[in-house]
Amino acid sequence: MIAGMLDTAGKLLKPPSLNDRILADMHLYAVLPRLEELVRFDEEAASLARELDMRLEFTVRGGGRVVLTFRDGAVHSSRTGGANVGLFFPSCNLLNRMFAGENVTPIPFKGLTRIGQLKKFTRLTEIMTEYLKPSSEAMEDPAFRAKHVEMSLMVGLAASGVVADLDPKAQRLVDVLHDATIQYSVLPDGPNAYVSISQGTIRAFSGTVPDPTTSIEIRDVDLAVGLIAGEVDTFAANGSGDIKASGDLAVADEFNGLFDRVGLYLK
Amino acid sequence: MSLYKFTKSNQMFQRATAVIPSGISGNKNPAFAVPGTFPYFAERGEGCRYWDVDGNEYIDFLCGYGPIILGHNHPAVDEAARKQQKQGSAFNHPTPRSVELAEKLVAMIPVADWVAIGRNGSDVTAYAVQVAREHTQRNKIIMARGAYHGSQAWCRHGIGGLIEADYEHVHQFTFNDATELEDLVKKHEGDVATIILTPYHHPAFGDQEMPAPGFMEEVRRICDEHGIVFIIDDVRAGFRLDMRGSNEYFGYKPDLICFCKGMANGYCVSAACGNREYKNAASRVFFTGTYYTNAVEIAASMACLDELEKTKAIDKMMRMGTMLQEGLRERAKANGIEVNVTGPPTLPFMTFAAETNFRRSQLFSGEAARRGVILHPHHNWFMMAAHEESDIRQTLEVADKCFSIVKKQFGD
Repeated sequence: MIAGMLDTAGKLLKPPSLNDRILADMHLYAVLPRLEELVRFDEEAASLARELDMRLEFTVRGGGRVVLTFRDGAVHSSRTGGANVGLFFPSCNLLNRMFAGENVTPIPFKGLTRIGQLKKFTRLTEIMTEYLKPSSEAMEDPAFRAKHVEMSLMVGLAASGVVADLDPKAQRLVDVLHDATIQYSVLPDGPNAYVSISQGTIRAFSGTVPDPTTSIEIRDVDLAVGLIAGEVDTFAANGSGDIKASGDLAVADEFNGLFDRVGLYLK
Repeated sequence: MSLYKFTKSNQMFQRATAVIPSGISGNKNPAFAVPGTFPYFAERGEGCRYWDVDGNEYIDFLCGYGPIILGHNHPAVDEAARKQQKQGSAFNHPTPRSVELAEKLVAMIPVADWVAIGRNGSDVTAYAVQVAREHTQRNKIIMARGAYHGSQAWCRHGIGGLIEADYEHVHQFTFNDATELEDLVKKHEGDVATIILTPYHHPAFGDQEMPAPGFMEEVRRICDEHGIVFIIDDVRAGFRLDMRGSNEYFGYKPDLICFCKGMANGYCVSAACGNREYKNAASRVFFTGTYYTNAVEIAASMACLDELEKTKAIDKMMRMGTMLQEGLRERAKANGIEVNVTGPPTLPFMTFAAETNFRRSQLFSGEAARRGVILHPHHNWFMMAAHEESDIRQTLEVADKCFSIVKKQFGD
C-alpha cells in the first residue's frame, strides 16, 4: 500500500473536502486498527507482527492522527501517545489515494533508522486488504468468509463513529443517540462485535459485552456477507427471523442510520 | 391453551418481501414489535377482536394504531359508508358531506372556527405548520424531543431520504421543560413560526408523560408573547379524551388542532382546524390530495362522531381503560414485578420498572400475542368502545400468565 512518489506541492496545499476528511478518518480509525484483530487470527500476519517492535504514527494534515504500537506480536491502536516512527500525509486526499491502491508515498518524519520495518508493515496491510476486499476464490472458504465478516463488521462499526463525529447529515441521529452498548453476533459461533455509545462517541470492540442494551443476532456468516455487501433488506430479514433484534430497538435503529452511511464513503 | 403459530403470516411476509420494500413498511413492519411472536397480516375484525391470516383471534389493544375507536366493522359507521357509496364518492367536486363534517367539527370543538379535511395525520400536521409559517412569515418549528408528528420530511424519524434542508428549521426541546422551550424561542427570536406539541407526551419507546402543572399555560404565554402559533397534534389522542379536543381535557387552548385517528373508525379522514385568526393564512396554503374530498370516508366520519357522542363512548373507554390499568398493576404486583403504567386510561401503556431496554416488555408482549392479546411492547395502546369487562378480565388473565413468565426469566 505504501509505495511511489509524493504528489505535487500545489495539490497538497488544498484544504481537505469534508468527504476526504471523513474517508481519511475512517482509514485511520476504522481500517488501520483492524490490524489488532488480523494478527490474532492470520498466521502470516502474526509472524510479521512478532518481528515488529515500533510505535508507528500516521499524521494527516487537515485530518487525524493514529499511533499503531507493535509489541510482542500484538498491535494496539491509539489516537494519543508517542511514536518512534512517523509518517506524514500532506493531505487527506493523499492518504485516501494510498488506501485506494495508488502509488503515493508519505513523508517519513521520525525514526528513519526503523523505516526498514515498514516493508513488513506494508505486507501486513496487504494481508488485511485481502480480508476486506476478498477475491471470489478466497470467499469460497467458509473460514475465510467468517474472517472477512469479522474484519468488515469491525470496520463498519468503527467507521460509524467517524460518521457520528463528522458527517453533517448524521448529526440529526447523533442528537438523539443515547448511551448504549449494541452487541452484534453472527450465529452460531461468531464473529461477535459490539459498539459502545457514550455521549455521542462511538467505539467498536471485538467480542461480546455482558448485558448489552441491544442484541442483534445474524442467522449465519453467509447472511452477514450479504449484509456487508449491502445486498440484504434488513427490515425484511428482521421480519423473517434471519436477523433477531432484542432490547432497545430505538437506539439500534438510530445507530443503524449511522452504519448505513459508512458505505457512502468507504467502498 | 396451545400457543398461537404464525405460519401463514410468515409465508405472506416472504411473498411480501419479494415485491414490497421491507415487506411491510413503516411502523407495521415486524421489526417494530416482536418478530416471530406477533402476527404480520390480519384477515378480518369484529368488535374489539380481529383474526390474523392463520385464524388466530386477538383482543385488540392497538386498534390499527388508533383509528378503530368504536370497534372493528361497526354497523352504524359501515352503514353510513355504504349509503354514501351507493351515491358515489370521488367526484369532480366535494359533496355536501365535506361541509357537513366541517360544520359538525366547528360546532363540537371550541378552538375550531374552520376545518380543512385531509386523509392522514401527516396531511394535516404538515398543513398546520405551513399555515403557521404563512401566518407568521417565519421559518422555525419547535417540537418536543421524541414526539411523532407524521412521516412528512420536516418531522420524519431518521435521515433516510432526507436532506438537511428538510429539517434545518426544526428544533427540539424536552417536553414539560418550559425554560428550555423559552430559551429556544429566544435563541431564534423573531423566526419561530410554531410550537407543535401532542396534548400530552406519548413517545414510542418510552413512558407516557402528562403535562406538568402549568406547563401548557407557559407554552400558551410564550406563544402569545412571541407571536408564535400553538399547534396541538391530536392525531393520536383525539376523541379518546374529550370530544372537544384533548386540550379541553387538560384545560388549555391552542391555536390550531390536528385530528385523525379517532374520527372515522378506520376510514381515512383527518382534519386540521383553527380559530378565525388563521383562516386567511389557511386559505393561502394549497391543500389538496386526490382523495381528500371522497364522500364515503367523510360520511363514515360523521357517523363515527355521532356514535361517539350518542353512546358517551369516551366514558366507557375510560372505565374499561381504568380497569385494565389497575388490573395490570395488581397482577404485576402479585407476581412480584414493578411496572410503570402510564398515560390516560383510554391510551394506556406499560413498561417494566427494572429495565430501560424493553427486553421484559418484548417477552411480555410476545407471550401475550401468542395467547391472543395485542399489547405492543414499544408503542402506547388504545382502548375502543367495543371493549367489555369480559375482554378486560380475559386480558388480565393472559397478563397474569405473561408476568409469571417474565418473573421466571428475569426474576424481577
